Amino acid sequence: MATSHPSTSVEAREEVGRSICVLTYKSLDIGEITQSVSDDSAGATAIFIGTTRNSYQGKVVTRLEYQAYSKLAIKTMTDIIRTTHQSVTRSAHHSAPATVPSIISCALHHRLGIVPVGEPSIVIAVSSPHRKEAFVACEQILEEVKQKVQIWKREYYEGEREEEAEWKTNSG
Amino acid sequence: MSKPEITVLYFAAASTATGLTEESITLPASQYPLSSLGDLLVSLHPDVGLDKILQSSQWSVNAEMVENAGEVTLKGGEEVAIICPVSGG
Repeated sequence: MATSHPSTSVEAREEVGRSICVLTYKSLDIGEITQSVSDDSAGATAIFIGTTRNSYQGKVVTRLEYQAYSKLAIKTMTDIIRTTHQSVTRSAHHSAPATVPSIISCALHHRLGIVPVGEPSIVIAVSSPHRKEAFVACEQILEEVKQKVQIWKREYYEGEREEEAEWKTNSG
Repeated sequence: MSKPEITVLYFAAASTATGLTEESITLPASQYPLSSLGDLLVSLHPDVGLDKILQSSQWSVNAEMVENAGEVTLKGGEEVAIICPVSGG
């Protein structure tokens, strides 16, 4: 298998308040990640799970490979979590006191290395007192990650030479 | 005085094109504009499509994204990365 692990694409984890960002070569444990944001004050937990799909434009995808500039990627991830905490505001119809946060905790985990078809490459969990903010924050984090975080995906297709496997781009 | 050196990191398409994940580069001058680094790297790795990759990429210096390459001068010791369009998720 033609895998490349740059020495700069390493595991990383960083906490931001009650939230956490993780880059890992290990399988993502959805139950464990969900549990990590649980809180008695939460009325809602939104989860996004991105998995490796088995096809792309008629071609059979055999696996994906991710690499990151971990030092920079983990900073970008924590910036996204900070921004989300600040920007996602309480639902207008809830007049909770200002001391109640709209987002309680976020967990943003991205896998590196080979991710076989059917396995998660990204898991985002967000807990909140209310469902709306949890959904909004979860989607916002995902879209920001896809636009900004210094992670790259290579897609391998059945019957094609590994050297020609394509590095994907999320933009354009 | 020895000439200043920087470390260049290659990821994704830039890594596939050059066959490298990192490289030590000796700067031709003690004050070297980041905006000239692309041409220098292409001259070291000709005919592998690096010029095209650089056109769609950004730079980072010491693990900070560069907003305007024209305002950055390299002096040696920096870790410079080519940030190709990202594709996480």
